[in-house]
Amino acid sequence: MTAWSRRGFLHGMLVGGGALVVAACGGGGQALRIQRADQTGDLVANLYVTVLATGRVALIVNKAEIGQGVSTGYATLVAEELRVPIDHVDVHYAGSDKAMRTSSNMQITGGSTSIFEAYVPLRQAAAAAREMLIAAAAEGWKVAPAACRAVDGHVVHGDARLPYGELTRRAARLEVPAQPRLTPAAEYTLIGKVDRRVDLRAKIDGSAVYGIDVTLPGMCNAYPIFAPVFGARPTRVAADRARRRPGVVDVIAFDWGVAVVAEKLWQARAAAADVEVSWSEGSLHGLDTAKLTAALRAHDAPGTTIKDDGDADAALDQAEQRIGGTYEAPYLAHAPLEPNNATARVTGDGVEVWAPSQSPTIAQAFVADALGIGMDDVTIHVTLCGGGFGRRALGDACAQAAQIARHVGRPVKLSWSREADMTQAWYRPIYSARVEAAVRDGKVTGAKLRVRSQSIALSGETMFGAALAQLPGPLARMATKAALALFSTNSLGDLFATEGLGNTPYRFASFSLAAEPVQTKLPVLFWRSVGNSVTGFVMEGLIDELAVATRQDPFALRRTLLTPGSRQQRVLDRLERLAGWATPPPKGIGRGLARHFAFETEVAQVAEVELVGDRIRVRKVYCVVDCGTVINPDIVRAQLEGAIIFGLSAALDQQITLVDGVVQQRNFDTFPVLRMHESPEIVVDILPSDDRPTGVGEPGLPPIAPAVANAMFQLTGVRLRRMPLQLAWNERGAS
Amino acid sequence: MKLVVNGKSVEVAVPDDTPLLWVLREEVGLTGTKFGCGVALCGACTVHVDGKPKRSCVTACGDVGERPITTIEGLAAGDVLHPVQQAWIEANVPQCGYCQAGQIMTTVALLAAKPNPTDDDIDAALSANLCRCGTYPRIRRAVHRAAELLAGGPAR
Repeated sequence: MTAWSRRGFLHGMLVGGGALVVAACGGGGQALRIQRADQTGDLVANLYVTVLATGRVALIVNKAEIGQGVSTGYATLVAEELRVPIDHVDVHYAGSDKAMRTSSNMQITGGSTSIFEAYVPLRQAAAAAREMLIAAAAEGWKVAPAACRAVDGHVVHGDARLPYGELTRRAARLEVPAQPRLTPAAEYTLIGKVDRRVDLRAKIDGSAVYGIDVTLPGMCNAYPIFAPVFGARPTRVAADRARRRPGVVDVIAFDWGVAVVAEKLWQARAAAADVEVSWSEGSLHGLDTAKLTAALRAHDAPGTTIKDDGDADAALDQAEQRIGGTYEAPYLAHAPLEPNNATARVTGDGVEVWAPSQSPTIAQAFVADALGIGMDDVTIHVTLCGGGFGRRALGDACAQAAQIARHVGRPVKLSWSREADMTQAWYRPIYSARVEAAVRDGKVTGAKLRVRSQSIALSGETMFGAALAQLPGPLARMATKAALALFSTNSLGDLFATEGLGNTPYRFASFSLAAEPVQTKLPVLFWRSVGNSVTGFVMEGLIDELAVATRQDPFALRRTLLTPGSRQQRVLDRLERLAGWATPPPKGIGRGLARHFAFETEVAQVAEVELVGDRIRVRKVYCVVDCGTVINPDIVRAQLEGAIIFGLSAALDQQITLVDGVVQQRNFDTFPVLRMHESPEIVVDILPSDDRPTGVGEPGLPPIAPAVANAMFQLTGVRLRRMPLQLAWNERGAS
Repeated sequence: MKLVVNGKSVEVAVPDDTPLLWVLREEVGLTGTKFGCGVALCGACTVHVDGKPKRSCVTACGDVGERPITTIEGLAAGDVLHPVQQAWIEANVPQCGYCQAGQIMTTVALLAAKPNPTDDDIDAALSANLCRCGTYPRIRRAVHRAAELLAGGPAR
């Protein structure tokens, strides 16, 4: 390690800030920059990029590495502009810091936005440092900066050559260029070419530190006991026997449950068996997903109109064929493999928390609310995350750990069980959509969609719908403002339930879309690709039904509905060749097509499916993506493979059900994850593009469920409109 | 009680029924072995006992005794990675990385028993190791590649 200290830098250098774009301007801290260079020899070029006296580059990444490869992506952008090999860049993850709130005043990893957000400003930040180093060398050589260039960590002029580490002190005395020259795409040597991740070594030798691995001096360990019913409070705790167990520090009742605290986690886990808790009824008492699903099917109110182009009702009245049905999707848990955890230390008036967090800002708000202190008194340190998928945008475990730490007066690590992680999740919302389409003279004349879903963003009041009782006030206001700005709307109630439908690129002659939020007290949350994870299933199922009804090839029908020359058409063209669509599949194999546009990225997939007994087996998936400029091609491929497999687990098998408020799935036996032997062969093709990079982590997911359902129709003639598809297949004809 | 972990003897003071996972993580200080489910459903906690893969979350340390235990930290020889680890790097396998210690330990044991595994062998050995990020296609490639490396194939 070097003497370079991220925290010292952040606290010494930064004032205000917000948008990532200010990074290149340097924040006006030249006196501090010079002082720092004199002390350490490091050139702190700006918020993100520091060139060390050793010549290595320290990069602050203000996103969470949840496996999506953001650390490699950001390191690639910086190495490109600084003209250093990528292994000269050391990644440091930013803790909570106002200057790091670059996503509409939030510090958050989500929405597949990281590369989109950083593509220009992060390169500017690195290019500014490069120009300062070049100017420093030119000054010393008494030549024009334009006559010098940066090569492989050195500034070069003719035969003269100086390593960056010998230029940092002089460079620190120069102005930070406001408009540094960015490398033209044609000259990229790393962007679009670097494949190997920067975080591989630590992830294969056991040295990577996730939240669950954090250790603090004097730390004890806490194991939580939660009520069977979400939101129930402990009313009586009998823990005398548990307290007498070796190592047990305390057993504490909180509003959210009971914490068993011991020196070691294994002691706390063992002692928890000796704790008896009586619980209040809980806010979900009576919630039953079977009844809820039936009620959604029967419900017939029109809902709020989201889009009404042409006269879809008239088209349906005049149709020769009316096709469609009710498409449904269950609640889902995120179930990242690292269960929820956090480590907290109370210091004077404030608290420090180490956590695998997708949003230090939200975590700060949760902790501040739980302890009754200000958000500025809360510091979040972000660790590596063992998966995220949206779940880690919350700060529930952070708040609990902080409460326990304050109570016992020692640093504490709180580690949830898998059962807690699954039953105390904030779930992907339940969903039901009644869809109808009209066909006349062999043409599609209109479509009408009525969506009912539990709203993640209810009525513009809060981003977190039914969970608002637990949401800190400042966060609710901040998140709502941010969302309104992001989505340019003042009606958030149905936003996530209809994303991917209201903005469909299909040009229907008439199109009507309405939505109605369903309210329960089960908390719901963003889940990989959010509303698109269902709306892709709805729309692409409907389109396949239309292809069947109009006796058209699924590619051909989509082409008639999509804008000629669009990226949608280009992706379809490529996929049709890649999948060998012109050649019929062998007997026993069904083939299905689906596409979806989300996070500014177009993805289309063909799934090849067979039945092994009654088990739906996906043999092979072809996938084509247009995500603009690609930074790391193999990471893009990995994200699409991952989204397909994550999506298949949900499409085929997963559901969260409740009986009288009790979540029925508690571990991976009842909430199955797709396994190696059922994992399909996946072929990914990336469409070349010079456009700005767009989302990659999420948009690979929406097409897979409809591609499989459509393949099942081709194979069996049975239309599956309900996820999980395996259950729908098993119960075919039953409803 | 005495345990032999990665070739070293360590003395730990824990009840016999304590799961090996927690003894490794909290008493021996080796956190590379991960907790995922607690009931042998996910494979994240896989270590070797006597060279055989074991789910350490359901293995009582008293049942292990002084039989040799190998964890992910014990695979590399100093800075020289085990061929399975090397293959994992070549195939760019990890995403979040959390399950990979278990995947790698299971693979090392597979290749010891079957130096040239078929896809069916890989399915049989690795289907109880869950990966939420969906790295299975790369794991499969890496297992085949590791077999090549173990047979003396050149590094890339």
